[in-house]
Amino acid sequence: MSPYIIETGGLTRSYGDICALKPLDLQVPEGEWLSVMGHSGSGKSTLMNLVGGLDRPTGGTLQVGGENLLALTEDGLARFRRNFVGIIFQQHHLVPYLTAIENVMMAQYFHSMPDEAEARHALERVGLGHRLKNRPGELSGGEQQRVCIARAIINSPKLLLGDEPTGNLDHKSTIMVMELLKELRGEERFTVIMVTHNQDVAAWGDRTIHLDDGMLVREERMNCQ
Amino acid sequence: MLFRLLKNSFLKRPKSVLLVFISIVMGASVATAFLGISGEISHKMALELRSYGANILLEPSAVEGGGFLREDDLPKIKTVFWKYNITGFTPYLFGVADFSANGKRERGIVSGTWFAKNLEVAGEEPSVQGVRGIAPWWDVQGGWPAGPDEAIVGAALAKRLGSAIGGHVEATVRGKQQRFQVVGIVTTGGYEEEQLFAPLITTQELLQLPGKVSRVQVSALTVPMDAFGMKNPAQMTKEEYEKWYCTAYVTSVAKNVEEVMAGSRAKPIWQIASAEGSLLKKLNSLMLLLTILALVASAMAVSTSLMASMAERSPEIALMKAIGADRYQISAIFIGETLIISVIGGMVGYLLGDQLAGIISRTVFNSTIASPFWLFPTAIISAFVVAFAGSVAPLRRALSIEPVRVLKG
Repeated sequence: MSPYIIETGGLTRSYGDICALKPLDLQVPEGEWLSVMGHSGSGKSTLMNLVGGLDRPTGGTLQVGGENLLALTEDGLARFRRNFVGIIFQQHHLVPYLTAIENVMMAQYFHSMPDEAEARHALERVGLGHRLKNRPGELSGGEQQRVCIARAIINSPKLLLGDEPTGNLDHKSTIMVMELLKELRGEERFTVIMVTHNQDVAAWGDRTIHLDDGMLVREERMNCQ
Repeated sequence: MLFRLLKNSFLKRPKSVLLVFISIVMGASVATAFLGISGEISHKMALELRSYGANILLEPSAVEGGGFLREDDLPKIKTVFWKYNITGFTPYLFGVADFSANGKRERGIVSGTWFAKNLEVAGEEPSVQGVRGIAPWWDVQGGWPAGPDEAIVGAALAKRLGSAIGGHVEATVRGKQQRFQVVGIVTTGGYEEEQLFAPLITTQELLQLPGKVSRVQVSALTVPMDAFGMKNPAQMTKEEYEKWYCTAYVTSVAKNVEEVMAGSRAKPIWQIASAEGSLLKKLNSLMLLLTILALVASAMAVSTSLMASMAERSPEIALMKAIGADRYQISAIFIGETLIISVIGGMVGYLLGDQLAGIISRTVFNSTIASPFWLFPTAIISAFVVAFAGSVAPLRRALSIEPVRVLKG
């Protein structure tokens, strides 16, 4: 059995003539926290979307959790996402007319069965036990991001993807979110792929890869924080 | 959770939900109203069409060779299975007579008939039968015969004889004479203008054919002929024959009447029956077409409203897909919403459509209408049809949303 949760070989993604991701060979061991850095248009979000089964590559191979994503149908990819992946978005993307707890329960509903007690526990773990019935519009940016984290972890994913999860947060909230993620990762042992512009945020990971113009240009191991 | 999603979706987007709801209500109510009055319209139109004349002709059967029918059998026509569909009938007894009036002599046809005979049949409602009922287009100047020696004369014959209202015409048949007082001149535009019409009893005496009738014209409400109705009853199975006999085709009503008139052969007057059938069929087709058009228009309105709502909801749908919702789960949310709106829309549409049908019936036909039991399920089904037909394109769009594109940035 492969020790890697993610393995890519010559992974490519083109949009017409534009090559967003040039052939990439990447292995991510299970449990690793990998930070992906690069400028805008460097291909980091493209990589994250491919690994998360949100997009399809135009070339190469892509194995995630032993699953060949290229062979999956649309519904197969949806099943893969709900069973295997948790996603934290920069813009939070919470459903505005649902409360915090309902936003978390929605992920449970698509996965299996909504369980209010479990959803409450997830929100308590991210420190929002007192904001269960509040709608996203009534929460601060940091709180919304924590609801997003609770939603991402509610189905115990093996892989947590973060697309600039602290991009819209102030320094204090950023630290709070990163500490929370570190703590949850320690408990849940999921693998983290985090796309970021921020060197400080990237430093929370075990390893950082740098992309430029769709190519892997540099890789560095980080010291534990 | 699905219920929470649906409830919140309704509460947070009242405008678009209301637009879809109104479109469904309009479709269901128009379908209810049109289908509700279509039966009434067909019935009223069929009654109106009866004024074009009889559609069944009873003649003596050539096989039996009797040459005449019996007047005594006529009341039995009001006792047959299709008696309520028979709106009127009248017997005729024809004979060639020599007419003389004002010194002029002409050979012509004397026709004995019932003008407006009060008919009482045991166990049945009394009725008035005769030529006045089944040939309302006859234009009679003067009056109708009331006594046994009164007659009306066809306009062409009257002109040749120089007869006028109040005058007399003498008819001679094989040496037997009868003097008639002319009480009316009849114009029909047809062969009747060459005849003299007298009471049946008097004509029977003149022709020395007591109790005899040459033919009977029957006016009956019938349904349009279809391929099954055109089949030969002699070649039908027992089940087919029963179905044919119990459907008010002009052929089955004719057969029904033939059975009670001894020695008769009943045949449809096709130029009347087929014209009526064709007209009623076209009318029904028109009503159906209008109903379908109304439903299509409503479905398009639903589709447009949902499409607009879809643009507003695409981030929400993209998010659902991103966190693992498959096509069936996305469809379930949309179909659930549509189902709820269409059930309520169907019920409201039924109530409105029923009222609308009542208004149309009162205004156009001056009569009330009773909603048939099938109208409620029809309204609900119409609402479903409108809702689902209108949801197809928006749902396809929802399913084709790519989370990567919508959630970017």
